[in-house]
Amino acid sequence: MSLDDSRVDRRDLLKYAGAASAAVLAGCTGDGGDGGSGGDDGSGSDGDSGDGGDGGSGGDEEGEQLSDVNVGVTMGQMDSGLDPHDHAETNTDIIVSQAYEGLMGREPDGTIVAALATEWERVEAGTARFTLRDGVTFHNGDELTAEDARYSIRRIELEEVGGALPQAGDLVGAGSLDGVEAGDGEVTVGFAGLNPIVFQLFATNGQVMQQSWVEENDTDFINRNVNGTGPFQLAEYDSGNEVVVERYRDYWDGPAEVASVTLNASSESSTRVNRLLAEESDVVTNVPPQEVSRVEESEVASINPVPSTRVIFLQMRYDVEPFTSQEFRQALNYAVDNAGIVESVLNGFGASSGQPTLEQFTGYSPDVEPYPHDPERAEELVEQSGFAGAEIELQTPIGRYLKDVEIAQAAASQIDSLSNVSCELNQREFSALVQDITTGEIEDKPAFNLLGWGNGEFDATQTIIPLMTSDGALTILKNDEVDAMVAEAQNEADPQAREQLLQDLNAFLHDLAPWVFMHQQFSVYGVSGEIEWEPRADEIIDPYRARPQ
Amino acid sequence: MSVARFVTKRVVQGVGVVWGVVTVVFALRFVTPGSPVNAVAPLDASQETRRAIAVELGLDQPLYVQYLQYVGDLLRGDMGFSYVRGQDVARLVFLKLPATVELAVAATVLAIAISIPLGVLSATRRNQPADYLATLFSLGGISTPNFWLGIMMILVLAVQLGLFQTSGRGVGFPGVLAAVVGPEPFLDTLLSWLSYITLPAIALGTYFTALITRLTRSGMLDELGEAYVQATRAKGLPETLVRYKHALRNTLIPVITVLGLQLGTLIGGAVITEAVFSWPGLGTLVIQSINLRDWPVLQGCLVIIGTSFVVVNIVVDTLYAHLDPGVVYD
Repeated sequence: MSLDDSRVDRRDLLKYAGAASAAVLAGCTGDGGDGGSGGDDGSGSDGDSGDGGDGGSGGDEEGEQLSDVNVGVTMGQMDSGLDPHDHAETNTDIIVSQAYEGLMGREPDGTIVAALATEWERVEAGTARFTLRDGVTFHNGDELTAEDARYSIRRIELEEVGGALPQAGDLVGAGSLDGVEAGDGEVTVGFAGLNPIVFQLFATNGQVMQQSWVEENDTDFINRNVNGTGPFQLAEYDSGNEVVVERYRDYWDGPAEVASVTLNASSESSTRVNRLLAEESDVVTNVPPQEVSRVEESEVASINPVPSTRVIFLQMRYDVEPFTSQEFRQALNYAVDNAGIVESVLNGFGASSGQPTLEQFTGYSPDVEPYPHDPERAEELVEQSGFAGAEIELQTPIGRYLKDVEIAQAAASQIDSLSNVSCELNQREFSALVQDITTGEIEDKPAFNLLGWGNGEFDATQTIIPLMTSDGALTILKNDEVDAMVAEAQNEADPQAREQLLQDLNAFLHDLAPWVFMHQQFSVYGVSGEIEWEPRADEIIDPYRARPQ
Repeated sequence: MSVARFVTKRVVQGVGVVWGVVTVVFALRFVTPGSPVNAVAPLDASQETRRAIAVELGLDQPLYVQYLQYVGDLLRGDMGFSYVRGQDVARLVFLKLPATVELAVAATVLAIAISIPLGVLSATRRNQPADYLATLFSLGGISTPNFWLGIMMILVLAVQLGLFQTSGRGVGFPGVLAAVVGPEPFLDTLLSWLSYITLPAIALGTYFTALITRLTRSGMLDELGEAYVQATRAKGLPETLVRYKHALRNTLIPVITVLGLQLGTLIGGAVITEAVFSWPGLGTLVIQSINLRDWPVLQGCLVIIGTSFVVVNIVVDTLYAHLDPGVVYD
């Protein structure tokens, strides 16, 4: 955090030293309502007709003084342009989400809340209706209309409107949009099938842009400028270097407590930590385990970890020996000490897993425990599988996930230490590995590789469908029972019945073991002692909720 | 050969080299694993979405069509469009170039200010403590990796002592120039700029400083042993004049050559320093583009770096022949 006047004092020593050497070297707090909340399905609404919110603060209209606090955020990488629909990665999402919002939103723990829509309901199986919030304005002063919401949905989903955007399918499923109608303060969306998680999808995706602004400007302009409805508006944009956003005073949920946010990036983790310790940044992302003690021992910052939505696993192709054997796949799960790896490699910043679905997600089965580390049982299962003496290779990306190579080395070593299996490690550039994974043909995929998967929708199917169903874009499994259980869950309208179906599916997948289940990755933030800020599970950073200490 | 013919010849050669750079940079994209589509599409994108993105990016065209299109666009000054950032490549690259030039020039100025006096001191006090210290410094400077030096300086001078900024560029040198005529207090702006640029300039320039120190020392030792120097001494000229007017001037001819070439190297070789200090120049853009697999921007950066190197080489060759009458334009 920095106040303009506090910066003046911070480098006094330099000034004195610099003066000598220059010649030589030539908020106020507010308490609105807590927003509304909705169920995972069915309908939901804002709690108090849209006034206030738990991140809001009073405005100077009431005579209260707004702070001039700036919050600095340093990430690992900058944005890939400011078009909220034309990207598919977290860093860009962090930046554009300061200024753009969707019809629905999420609390830091993933709970669905109202955003630009105050109410939503499923009208019938393939139709959802959203009631827009009144009095919302874009940063250029124009009012949000139902046409803007309609246009944004169509821009994301339809190639003839927005071109081939990477977020196509994120709202209702690829090719599933069946018309969007804009009425009087309402938007009605039609889609194929039941789509039981349509509101989860809308809560994570679908930021709303102003139709006329998009149509009047070209791609280059839209990627360097911002016109959203969010709590911050763009002040400065230096592509690849720094983005400064400042408080939008007419924000529908009240102006932010912090006056501005400076977002920059350093790919070097040590540089990010140094910025934090030198009080140049207030929040830094992805503090690696080896830097944690340096932050914790400082007097100016602390470590703030949060379970993320990313699961790390070793996937095994169902059609390649020895992975064709369920016993063999289970054996590898017993061989790998995932809890030990979390402790020793990740300093405890992870949670070992035994199913594809994470604990805070819909469909997580609390009855399924991670496989225990039991090398003797693993050797027995290998013998039973008929693949004793198997030689396998684990492929891992380099530097894509937190400590990925070290995790893969530990896992491969533990498998290799079995008396009847030998395992080698093959480290690959992520881009090369992705090329094999994304061809759409299961035959092209590696037989055994480490991968991570983020699931911002907080629903089991958003992991299982792409990675484990026969038609999944990244699948390594073709199993009729899995397909049938997924289909049943996707056609179940009752949330509780669906939850049970998904829990059963997760228990089934635990036993089927298409993965060596590894762990849930934690997001580890370094946070300045000068601000109060809680991280979110979905890796988005929201300074709107930050407060000076 | 006249200067004009010499320069023309070198420019023609330079164009050939730049064309080679452009071709190699273009080809690199196709020998590197991974499709550019993966830079845009999410992992679970359908094959239909991937195909649509490939068509939109022009990747469905034959290779020679893509190449001719790229070269043709370059000749018109169009470096392409970043499909990852959705922005014009030329603007992105040219916005970052000043920061890299600023850092390279600062490192060079720092190197000259330190290395030439140190080299002369070392040569004129041969086998004395000053010479040993200067030799030790230059040995250390050449042996120390600049990323390690940068990190150490950040830890000690920026984090522990708070003397400098850990990273970033601040207002940059244009901000200092603006303060000369603008409302910003000049001294504060200058000191702010120095707090940002000093550490990266030292980190980038240390190897260079050490190199020039050694070059100056050996050059001075050679020149001081020449007959013409003995003659000037025999004429009774003061030792200061002998050293600085005669010996040093001749020593500087090869030094200037190395200086010029090194400036080109610094523009292209600041990648690691820029990454350590998050200096927003071409080096950082290169790293970002590699991470994002943003090939058009990476190609743009490499073409500019290659072209800068060629231009600096031509200028240095021309100057060298001009400075040393013994060299003929050929």
